[in-house]
Amino acid sequence: MVEEQKLHHHEVLEAEATDRVLFGFWVYLMTDLLMFSVLFACYAVLHNNTFGGATASELFSLPVALTETLILLTSSFTVGIAMVAARNRDKTQTLIWFGLTFVLGLAFLVLELKEFSALIHEGHTLKTNAFLSSFFILVGTHGLHITSGLVWMTTTMGYIMKRGLNAPLVRKLSMLSLFWHFLDIVWIFIFTIVYLGAFV
Amino acid sequence: MNKHSQQSNSHPHLKHKTIQSYVIGFILSLIFTAIPYYLVVNQYLMGRQLLLAILGFGVLQMLVQIIFFLHLGRGPKPFYNVVFFIATVGIIMVVVAGSIVIINNLHYNMMPSDQTKKLVNDEAIYQVSGTKTGACQGQHPNHNVAIKNGQFDPNRTLANQCDTLSFINTDKVTHKIDFGPQGHNQPYAGMTEIILRKGLSKTITLSDSGSFSFYDKGSIFGGSTFTVVP
Repeated sequence: MVEEQKLHHHEVLEAEATDRVLFGFWVYLMTDLLMFSVLFACYAVLHNNTFGGATASELFSLPVALTETLILLTSSFTVGIAMVAARNRDKTQTLIWFGLTFVLGLAFLVLELKEFSALIHEGHTLKTNAFLSSFFILVGTHGLHITSGLVWMTTTMGYIMKRGLNAPLVRKLSMLSLFWHFLDIVWIFIFTIVYLGAFV
Repeated sequence: MNKHSQQSNSHPHLKHKTIQSYVIGFILSLIFTAIPYYLVVNQYLMGRQLLLAILGFGVLQMLVQIIFFLHLGRGPKPFYNVVFFIATVGIIMVVVAGSIVIINNLHYNMMPSDQTKKLVNDEAIYQVSGTKTGACQGQHPNHNVAIKNGQFDPNRTLANQCDTLSFINTDKVTHKIDFGPQGHNQPYAGMTEIILRKGLSKTITLSDSGSFSFYDKGSIFGGSTFTVVP
């Protein structure tokens, strides 16, 4: 009886810790969102200042942007399924779905870097004009977030393989999944405002 | 995300429901990506309407992510999250809308039109990136150069200074037109290259006098010349 009560007490403590940690992480995400909103404001203000150079509609390819969006949306879905598996403490399923998310995230990053290198190769760099500066900073900041998400995913998967799925690791995965969904939301606005907006 | 969902997932029925919510969210997000994409590609709407439509679908997409993926607002006490989120959205509105309004206003009111005109006349600048400035005012005839199957028609144009020249791409591909003899770029009035997507045209002001040429970067055919008489 006493043992059972102790166990229950422990569970309540864990759940409270999770709530606290996730709220803290949520606060971080909101401040990050503020940073992105300022970069969006910059882009909105500067996107016509091409200094006589090529405009957004001449540089961007909609099919590539659509592919990137579909990849990221799918990865947001797979990370959700991975979290369901993680909360059920299903180690294999968790690793499979997070692995899939990692591959999708990497594919997204490769596409983005290809797009960047093509632009830079044609002479459209960060220094060309205010439009390209704000474009590279906005989309590049999102790309950096994706990169750090991938690094985080790799280390966490390493921990899971080594230690199994314990409560603190599930908590970490919850934060990671929040982070990933958040990046997805930011990308939706990049897709809408930067890429689709270029052809309005 | 919270105590409730942590426990709920261990229950098989509720786990099924969670997966169902992800599937619904995923399908909705695909739909809300496809619609604005087709609206833009086929240009079913124009200008401000199109912009409002795609922004609307962007917001819908965000709501789908928040409701079906982040599960914001579910469970007994996640309201701090919701309140914090709403407060952040409020601040974002102020920052983004405020920046756009203020900078546009600044741009409009701080435009030094008098100084620009003086500078333009003093320095004899007739155009800035293809747009006429004060030095070439009034109506002037326009000359057309069409691009058909990678060839220029006509391949010789004679014009007076301040006339305009329109490049019209009638092909199904994008053409890049560079100024100067083939392989040797010589900018005309500050312009080095004109990128014309299929079916589009671009008009430039012939502000500099003399004999000039241009060529299609991706074409094996020769370029075209134009002479501007002062």
